[in-house]
Amino acid sequence: MYETIRSRLNSGQALLLDGALGTELVRRGVRWRKHGLLTDSDAVEALHRDYLIAGAVILRTDTFQLNPRIYLNVFRNRSHMAHIGAPGLAELTFTLLRKSVEVAKRARAKANNHAAIAGVLSPLEHCYRPDLVPPPEQARCEHEEIARVFAEEKVDFLLLESMNTISEAKEALAAGRSFGLPVWVSFVLGPEGELLSREPLNRGVVEMEQGGADAVLVNCAPPEDIGKAILRMRKFTKLPFGGFAHIGRFSPPSWKFEFFPQFIETESWSPERYAAEARRWRDAGATIIGGCCGTRPEHTAALRAVLGTDGRSKA
Amino acid sequence: MSYQPIREKLQRKEVVILDGAIGTEILRRNVTWADHQLANKPDFVRGIHEDYIRAGAEVISTNSFQLCRRALYNHFRDDAHRHHIGARDLDERAGKLLAASVHLAREARERVAPKHAVAVAAAITTLEWCFRPDLAPSPDEAQKEYREIFQIVKDAGADMVLLETVNSIPEARVGAEIAKYVGLPCWVAFVCDERGLLFTGEKLAAAVQALEPLGIEAILLNCAPPEDISTGMAELAPHAHVPIGAYAHIGRFDPPEWMFTDEYPPAKYRDFAARWKQMGARILGGCCGTTPDHIAAVGALR
Repeated sequence: MYETIRSRLNSGQALLLDGALGTELVRRGVRWRKHGLLTDSDAVEALHRDYLIAGAVILRTDTFQLNPRIYLNVFRNRSHMAHIGAPGLAELTFTLLRKSVEVAKRARAKANNHAAIAGVLSPLEHCYRPDLVPPPEQARCEHEEIARVFAEEKVDFLLLESMNTISEAKEALAAGRSFGLPVWVSFVLGPEGELLSREPLNRGVVEMEQGGADAVLVNCAPPEDIGKAILRMRKFTKLPFGGFAHIGRFSPPSWKFEFFPQFIETESWSPERYAAEARRWRDAGATIIGGCCGTRPEHTAALRAVLGTDGRSKA
Repeated sequence: MSYQPIREKLQRKEVVILDGAIGTEILRRNVTWADHQLANKPDFVRGIHEDYIRAGAEVISTNSFQLCRRALYNHFRDDAHRHHIGARDLDERAGKLLAASVHLAREARERVAPKHAVAVAAAITTLEWCFRPDLAPSPDEAQKEYREIFQIVKDAGADMVLLETVNSIPEARVGAEIAKYVGLPCWVAFVCDERGLLFTGEKLAAAVQALEPLGIEAILLNCAPPEDISTGMAELAPHAHVPIGAYAHIGRFDPPEWMFTDEYPPAKYRDFAARWKQMGARILGGCCGTTPDHIAAVGALR
């Protein structure tokens, strides 16, 4: 399946990535627990389907910030988790990872669609906290565990999303490539317009190209920031590049649950406005375009109108 | 209402009934607890307080576990990042919700108008995650943050502070000092492990020694399974001069939610509480997983 993606990218066609999963599931009333994959898998599948109908040619798995650490971090240690935690927490991540691929594939099969499925990996600690990134060897191990499951479940490629340091991105990239899967790397931007870690964007892009990434993107920042970064990216790399912005404002939970996808004031970015902004990214050479937190299938549909009915640019 | 009637009961060695879980009770009633529901579903939160008062609770604790500025700010790289992409009210949100949590508990008391005295305890916990003493802020930072929090709940009309699920003596000490400084009666509840030690490895005897001189009103144990609370009680009771108490969790932590089990139905939970009473505990209530029915059952121990 990735060969189709590769040849389209090689010929300069634009590809339409889907939009947000977490924020849209919460907006649709899903109670956020275990990524909705156990209690609300029908809702997850329906959302994948809606993105396919809207024209996405790449579906991302519902696995953002899903790794064993998110469960372990809320206990004193492993034995405390075994002592007071629900049974099976140590293995839960892997169950959910498999389930996420199953649900995305089911949506694709029912839609009789040929979209590619990207297994999503993200920072092991909070995506907005580069200060918490684990040491390189540790990060490599933990990303390998996740990438292995995606490889076994036969995703078409891996998307490292919202990476906030070059160090962890390099380890995750190497981990993904060790299973023979194509890997896209996407960095989250800080308010200064560089990586969230304050490392320069150009260095991030160059190091990912050197590390064997198949594409480099930026995501999880406001559309204007994504646009500015995309204007610069063309100069740093020959790889396909692109971006997906979040819209509205992050409204975190009032107690420590690390990843709770809630963005408010998203109405300030109507699908039309978002698509008009993304049009500029396309004009600047970006060929992979989608939506991050806060975006909805309507945004994907509006992007299709900009990029062309099957994800191609009209330009 | 003030803390005085509760203090007097404890001085007479009488049992004081603390309420049960509020966060997990929100889940059990099929609502997400991710936002504390203080702004979105105030009637619902107040209703749970009312149920606990009707079940006999004499101290009700606010729905404010882990609710603090730091918990919200931790989701961002720094101030610049928060201001750039965060909700616009985040600088004020924790304070407003904390005050609202106290107001709701007070309103519940007014509505039920119980015949018994009921004190409103502002539930405050560690500034970082309750099970992770390794993440605790420095005493200087803790002092600054607790001072703000304690002042907010005092201004909102809390009768006392329940500093709960505390995992280290240093953070407990800062909390106790600030309670005294702000002028709120303070109970300190520690989480303990299977050996009856704090999560730092510190001993409860040392906690007693550190906290009693600071004028705290009581020391309790909470947020561990009933058997562990019994083990901790054996460590705490021989050393304490102030009143002591306990409230265990039942079921299992299933992050981000709670798994309810039928291992400890109300009558069985009451038997554990009776044992703690026998060991010297006079404040008895319930932590995560417990319900108004558990509190009604424990009320029989008065």
